[in-house]
Amino acid sequence: MTHRIEIDFEPAEGQVVRLIGLVERRGYELLGVNFQPAAMGGKGRLDMSVRPRPGPRRMETLKAQISRVYGVLSVRELTAEPLRESA
Amino acid sequence: MHSATASTLDATQPAPAKTGAQLVVEALEREGVTDVFGYPGGAIMPVYDALTGSSLNHILVRHEQGAALAADAWARVTGRPGVCMATSGPGATNLVTGLANAFMDCVPMVAITGQVASPLMGTDAFQEIDTFGITLPIVKHSWLVRDVADIPHIFAEAFRVASSGRPGPVLIDLPKDVTQASIHTPGVIACRTETPAVFPLDAQGLARAGQLITAARRPVLYFGGGIALSRAEDALKRFFQRTGIPAVATLKGLGAIPTDWPGFLGMLGMHGTRAANTAVNDSDLLICVGARFDDRATGKLDTFAPGAKVIHIDGDPAEISKLRAVEVGMAGDIGAILDALHPKMGDISEWQKTCADNAVRWAFRYDAPGSGVYAPGLLNAMAKAAGDKLIVTCDVGQHQMWVAQHCRFTRPQAHLTSAGLGTMGFGIPAGIGAALAEPDATVVTVSGDGSIMMNIQELATIRRYRIPLKILLLDNSQLGMVRQWQELFYQENFSEVDLYDNPDFAEIARAFGIEAFTLEHRSGEAEAIERLLSTRGPVLCHARIDPRENVWPLVPPGKSNSEMMEA
Repeated sequence: MTHRIEIDFEPAEGQVVRLIGLVERRGYELLGVNFQPAAMGGKGRLDMSVRPRPGPRRMETLKAQISRVYGVLSVRELTAEPLRESA
Repeated sequence: MHSATASTLDATQPAPAKTGAQLVVEALEREGVTDVFGYPGGAIMPVYDALTGSSLNHILVRHEQGAALAADAWARVTGRPGVCMATSGPGATNLVTGLANAFMDCVPMVAITGQVASPLMGTDAFQEIDTFGITLPIVKHSWLVRDVADIPHIFAEAFRVASSGRPGPVLIDLPKDVTQASIHTPGVIACRTETPAVFPLDAQGLARAGQLITAARRPVLYFGGGIALSRAEDALKRFFQRTGIPAVATLKGLGAIPTDWPGFLGMLGMHGTRAANTAVNDSDLLICVGARFDDRATGKLDTFAPGAKVIHIDGDPAEISKLRAVEVGMAGDIGAILDALHPKMGDISEWQKTCADNAVRWAFRYDAPGSGVYAPGLLNAMAKAAGDKLIVTCDVGQHQMWVAQHCRFTRPQAHLTSAGLGTMGFGIPAGIGAALAEPDATVVTVSGDGSIMMNIQELATIRRYRIPLKILLLDNSQLGMVRQWQELFYQENFSEVDLYDNPDFAEIARAFGIEAFTLEHRSGEAEAIERLLSTRGPVLCHARIDPRENVWPLVPPGKSNSEMMEA
């Protein structure tokens, strides 16, 4: 099953790589990514389409794991509609 | 969940120009750091230059991994972030195992690395490596400092992040041009700090948990390393005493309830006691506190505590229902939650008696046949002789499990072990860190002949600083735990585990200037323990043990905890 999660975060060096890496290391296949860099003084936003690999994986756990990353402001699960691969 | 505030860090008078390196040292002093474990090199030289004349006590290790592991143990004992420092390139990569160790065991640590000058970054310069990138998966957060003016607030934030919430290591990478640059620091340095997230007590969760406990007839309290991390051992003991619920511990939980208290059944899991695993297996309610249902504790997860409802209390909301669905999950201050939990107890007297009878029936015995040194008996006697001042630091392997099974602990800080990562080589550097953190303690490193070679160079550090570390080396001339698994699960195909050509470890210790002696027979155990513990300076006891001795009981990999193997 595919899930879409949207993460708002404070911009910082390496933060996009940190967040994408976390999602993959926790056992989720990355199907699509849309990154909106922050405007001056604003927040960054990552919209990811992911699919859990086999194993005991819960989206609630993943969201909590993302939430505890320094600089993450919010994590939301969107509709199950995946991002287009070209996104 | 976070709110930002501002604080001032310095005097109101305009200050003279300071280098970035001086700001680093000032920041460490401001954070109350006393001990820094490190090793100098090219890119970090400006900071080492600034160290001279500071209040910081720098411990020069002989390998950067030793610095990280010593800082790890220092943090576990003090509850404050340990600090380690290394140069760029190989200095930084040598820290990696120690960072991973701290990450897995949630130990607060601030690692400082030098980096090549900013213009050289990305050019494959000498000793350039992407430290920031390499360490991303094993730090709680990291900073690559681009501007000397950022140093004060980055360091303040680093210490806060390392020790707040679920603790862990953070890394600050310092390009050489940044530490060499000078700035006129403003009279007042604004430092952005954040208030850690606060989780209010969950009244509904507490009520529901109370109902489950009241209704339970076979409850078990299962606790782990989260107790020590949140310094909740007193609250845990109060809960244990007022409810009388039989208790079991994970490897990292040992000591939070003194191991000789009635009702404590020992460690659960792969090398847990039969009494502990049986209680969990037969329980109708599991109260998991500061533990995370890891595979070494649960065995085959879907057979773990099959008839139990679960209450999970943890400092980290991400752990609730991660591996085991729970009836009640409460995240927050573990001690506060436990202190707020005053359930009316149902009649569990029959269950208490069953658990107590099992603990007696399956208690470890120390009357093994033969005249050779018997490691479980030796460790049991050593821990009793050392008393409440004991801190044991372990390496990894059979001896680690024997320590967990047979040593007496009265506080969680007394048992420092690499639980999550399982780092061979942890023992001696950890012993150094623990001895510096608590000079009045009797610190004993229990090692094996495989593990000790992983960081044996730190004997030089012990000698240099006259650290009174007691090293008890259990030498079976084998990689014992691997050999045991090959015997049991690989049809006795003993592949690359024979260390027949070990050096004479007592001679090695003496060559480093450390007193050493060898123990060959069981009849000499009492005298050896006396000598080990009474020697004022560092000392190594080289105990030769039977290579065929295995760790029992054992839950085979992939099996249920109810399928324990015995000798």
